[in-house]
Amino acid sequence: EGEGEKMRVISCCKAVPEEQDIVVAKDRQISFEKAEWKFGQYDLNAVEAGKQIVEATGGQLSGLCAGGKILDNSKLKKDILSRGLDNLYLVMDETMEQADTYQSARVLEAAIKKMGEFDLVLCGAGSSDLYAQQVGNQLGELLGIPVVNAVNKITPQGDKVIVERALENAIEVLEITLPAVLSVTSEINVPRIAGMKDIIAANKKPVTKLSLSEIEVADSQPASMVFSTLAPEQMERRLNILEGESDDVVDVFVKLLSAELK
Amino acid sequence: MTVNNVWVITDDQKAVGELCGGGRQLGDQVSVVLFGDQNEAQEAIASGADQVYLFGQPGNSVMIEAYSKSIAELLRAEKADLVMVYSSVRGKLMAGRIASGLATSALSNVSELTVEDGSIIAKHMVYGGAAIRTEKALSDTVVVTVGTGVFEEMPKDVTRQGKVTEVNPGVDNTGIRVLETRPKQGEAVNLSAAKRVVGVGRGFAAKEDLKMAEEFAALIGAELGCSRPIAEGEKWMSKERYIGVSGVFLKTDIYISLGISGQIQHMVGVNQAKTLVAINKDKNAPVFKQADIGLVGDIYNVLPQIVAKMKAQN
Amino acid sequence: MSEERFDAIIVGGGLAGSTAAYVLAQQGLEVLIIERGNFGGAKNMTGGRLYAHSLEKLIPNFAEEAPVERRVVRERISMMTDNDAATMNYRSPRLAETGSDSYVVLRGEFDRWLFDKAEEAGAIAAAGIKVDELIVENNRVTGVICGGEEMKADVVILADGVNSILAEKAGLRKRVKPSQVSVGVKEVYELPAKVIEDRFGLTGDEGASCLFAGSPSNGLVGGGFLYTNKESISIGLVLGIEHIGESDKTIDEMMTAFCNHPEIAPLIKDGKLVERSGHVVPEAGLSMVSTLYGDGFLICGDAAGFCLNIGYMVRGMDLAISSGELAAKAVIEAKEKGDFSSASLKSYKNMLDNSFIMKDLSLYKNFPAFMENPRMFNQYPSMISGIMTDMFVIDGKPAVPLRKKAMKHLKAVGLKNLVKDGLKGVKSV
Ligand SMILES: Cc1cc2nc3c(=O)[nH]c(=O)nc-3n(C[C@H](O)[C@H](O)[C@H](O)COP(=O)(O)OP(=O)(O)OC[C@H]3O[C@@H](n4cnc5c(N)ncnc54)[C@H](O)[C@@H]3O)c2cc1C
Ligand SMILES: Cc1cc2nc3c(=O)[nH]c(=O)nc-3n(C[C@H](O)[C@H](O)[C@H](O)COP(=O)(O)OP(=O)(O)OC[C@H]3O[C@@H](n4cnc5c(N)ncnc54)[C@H](O)[C@@H]3O)c2cc1C
Ligand SMILES: Nc1ncnc2c1ncn2[C@@H]1O[C@H](COP(=O)(O)O)[C@@H](O)[C@H]1O
Repeated sequence: EGEGEKMRVISCCKAVPEEQDIVVAKDRQISFEKAEWKFGQYDLNAVEAGKQIVEATGGQLSGLCAGGKILDNSKLKKDILSRGLDNLYLVMDETMEQADTYQSARVLEAAIKKMGEFDLVLCGAGSSDLYAQQVGNQLGELLGIPVVNAVNKITPQGDKVIVERALENAIEVLEITLPAVLSVTSEINVPRIAGMKDIIAANKKPVTKLSLSEIEVADSQPASMVFSTLAPEQMERRLNILEGESDDVVDVFVKLLSAELK
Repeated sequence: MTVNNVWVITDDQKAVGELCGGGRQLGDQVSVVLFGDQNEAQEAIASGADQVYLFGQPGNSVMIEAYSKSIAELLRAEKADLVMVYSSVRGKLMAGRIASGLATSALSNVSELTVEDGSIIAKHMVYGGAAIRTEKALSDTVVVTVGTGVFEEMPKDVTRQGKVTEVNPGVDNTGIRVLETRPKQGEAVNLSAAKRVVGVGRGFAAKEDLKMAEEFAALIGAELGCSRPIAEGEKWMSKERYIGVSGVFLKTDIYISLGISGQIQHMVGVNQAKTLVAINKDKNAPVFKQADIGLVGDIYNVLPQIVAKMKAQN
Repeated sequence: MSEERFDAIIVGGGLAGSTAAYVLAQQGLEVLIIERGNFGGAKNMTGGRLYAHSLEKLIPNFAEEAPVERRVVRERISMMTDNDAATMNYRSPRLAETGSDSYVVLRGEFDRWLFDKAEEAGAIAAAGIKVDELIVENNRVTGVICGGEEMKADVVILADGVNSILAEKAGLRKRVKPSQVSVGVKEVYELPAKVIEDRFGLTGDEGASCLFAGSPSNGLVGGGFLYTNKESISIGLVLGIEHIGESDKTIDEMMTAFCNHPEIAPLIKDGKLVERSGHVVPEAGLSMVSTLYGDGFLICGDAAGFCLNIGYMVRGMDLAISSGELAAKAVIEAKEKGDFSSASLKSYKNMLDNSFIMKDLSLYKNFPAFMENPRMFNQYPSMISGIMTDMFVIDGKPAVPLRKKAMKHLKAVGLKNLVKDGLKGVKSV
């Protein structure tokens, strides 16, 4: 019986630059100057999963993001709030822009402790920039509570959840005692598209900003020192693009293609 | 140049060969953590391990990930310099928990590992493949996750000697019970070995329509691959067939994409191909910016024509 | 927030809508502005020459913060045949004086900026949402419906652009006739700032506006335009839809011919095509101006038909901005009276009548009809280029007095017609 007391769910999402807007310079250095910012495509699955849980059990869905000052961008905030969050917590600090997975997990851990009681922390399959698929796992260990990745299905059951976990060649069904940290797959759901009322509502939802000092996180050594972040060597392509569906256009295409297949 | 103690952790025996090969390259001492039996331990030794820690099955309602804490303790005690965890689902969870236990992060999905004057240099893709990051690991014990295809397996040497230690430490599993494990059919394809691949994307409106692509692929002797949404969202094809930064990297002579927009995360998986061909109805689709040959047209109109013409040729 | 409602809902995040929202929000009204594109301006295109006066009033020195491309200091008008062009070049500091200054803008960025201004001012902005229908209760507009969701307001301001389907659906306005609209095509070519400045004789943030009559529109009503952006050139055609059928060229063919014309080609040479778009332009001026207000609604900008299309030159942005402002003012007054009836909102019409909008529109009242006359786009340009040829092409034949030279070409067109059209033209301008 999926009946249980109201659940307090926290969905973690990371703001990232739109990959398509990355500009690559001659020296293969990349620049984000022209880039729009958005929330990681797969973090939206974590928000949607949280939304579905609180819709089922009642309760409350909070968003939690750690990042640089870009998080102050009202469009970003409204965008994520309009996807079903009841409130949003932002940990803003320049250093978060370069944070590795351990540092991120440390900050999220500290923030979550400040946020008070919770039943479930949800993470996405991976952040769109690092895609390390680790912050959730590291966070769970730091909080010292049950943690599982690759979660494909979540069914609340009182003070537990039953989850299905997608391994390479098996589905594992687990019973997990709350509170817990789960990283969901990008298959677990299809994130909803915000409607007019969601967007209007987003304007009125509470946003709490936290600084690193407020959450009292002792800064930790970075696990690595970045030497370089360079765009891969691009092969020169011929860009021989034909337009049209007429017989002779397709004919030319087939000839070109066949030549390659020789 | 090497470090002293390299550790390999894998829940999947198929990774043992390559990871031990990598271990030998990078370290003087290679220790392996396995969850299998003596035979598997011997295979690890033949593949380059000096010692193997055999963790027994922790009982059928407990996941092997429950060993994470004890493994972290072992690593600390044994002064591991580098820990290479196979990037399976279980591997990733263990890597994260172990790294946290060692107060460091896990460098994930490394595409290259080297040792330069005593420190470990790792490369891995960021921003969906738009860039490759090179970083120098700073922590005492460096934890990385590695997939297959990064290291060379050494020829197995059954005469190699090594120590096998069976350990059955307590598990820390408070709060997680395995109720059931349903085997699911993974598909045994190896796209990265294929010389010709046809990739299908969301340009296909229905699963049945993939027949068109299959026929075309068969005609030119190509394997069929796809974009991530086709394998995940739509589940029209098995995950083993999706190409890109989080999927398979191709080493084909020719890659032909059908109805794929050409987002960076997909293209990094194909841009080593000698020839890139794209068919898409949107002439502004990014895929055309990286194509040798392109056709702006509706696959539903042009693909049948193409198939017919190619048949006529043969 | 069960029974939420707004003072005003604005449909459309173009210049008209964003201006209205900005003004209302500044007065502290509860406004919702709904834009179907993912951001204000997402779907907008235009030749991109903004006369500053209207916005200057609202946001003094807006050009300093707004993403404007260049300040126009050079005007060119060319009469073209297939291979010739007779160009008039006007350069004057007056063009740059505050009040009479004008700027080249790229609508995507510029509209977005104004849309965001409205949001900063306190308007609630819903981008990526399409208004499907107006709620009409006993002949009174009371709100909007988007994706099945209803939202109510005291008044709805329609700023949804030239083919305002909403107004049509709600029966507030007749369907636009082809004879009332032109179609515009526009391309943007990227070029280094330096190159643009050299080619057009500009420095710094100076910009040029070039208009072309004659062959560009293939003799049809319409013409070509070219504006210099910071690091790109906007170039396009505006063509009367009605006659396109009669033309022996498709719009694309005309655009290609235009870009390849010896007068144009060197200007965009080596430019990288980065954008191509098409849009409808209200053409018929006042004759097209529709219902402007009613119980619970106001219409502004292109949706109301506030656009001057003088064949080779289109002017609607400043009208959109000012009409948006006036609509907002009318709503503010109505709110004070607590009366949003047609009678109360009539003040909008009164304000319009006293504004440059109606004055200019009526000044050009008969202009569209006048432009419909193919001679304007066909024979006159070739006539002028003919005269020029005789004046400048010295081929060793004995010279002919200028008057005679001219006469020859005037005859070709027909003096009577010339006088007729001349008078018409004078009457309408
Ligand atoms: C962290 C991360 C990792 C990712 N990893 C991967 C990865 O490894 N591999 C991967 O593929 N994706 C990956 N993605 C997803 C990726 O960003 C894109 O969403 C995905 O590649 C798009 O797939 P698609 O091109 O099939 O679909 P779409 O982007 O929807 O493109 C469909 C295309 O089909 C064209 N089309 C439609 N109808 C027709 C027709 N009738 N005829 C011809 N053309 C038509 C359309 O013009 C469009 O260009 C990842 C994303 C993230 C955030
Ligand atoms: C080729 C061309 C060249 C031009 N050149 C110039 C020039 O040089 N100078 C000049 O001053 N003017 C020019 N104009 C005219 C000028 O572009 C318009 O007059 C002006 O854009 C009108 O602004 P608007 O806000 O009324 O309408 P628009 O700018 O069209 O804005 C309408 C907005 O409403 C949105 N919308 C529509 N329907 C809905 C709905 N159902 N729900 C939600 N949102 C909706 C649209 O997405 C759009 O953003 C040109 C026009 C064209 C086509
Ligand atoms: N800075 C952050 N703020 C909030 N959540 C984060 C942050 N970084 C990572 N996450 C969460 O952790 C998941 C995995 O991230 P990663 O390990 O970087 O792939 C993401 O999908 C997010 O749900």
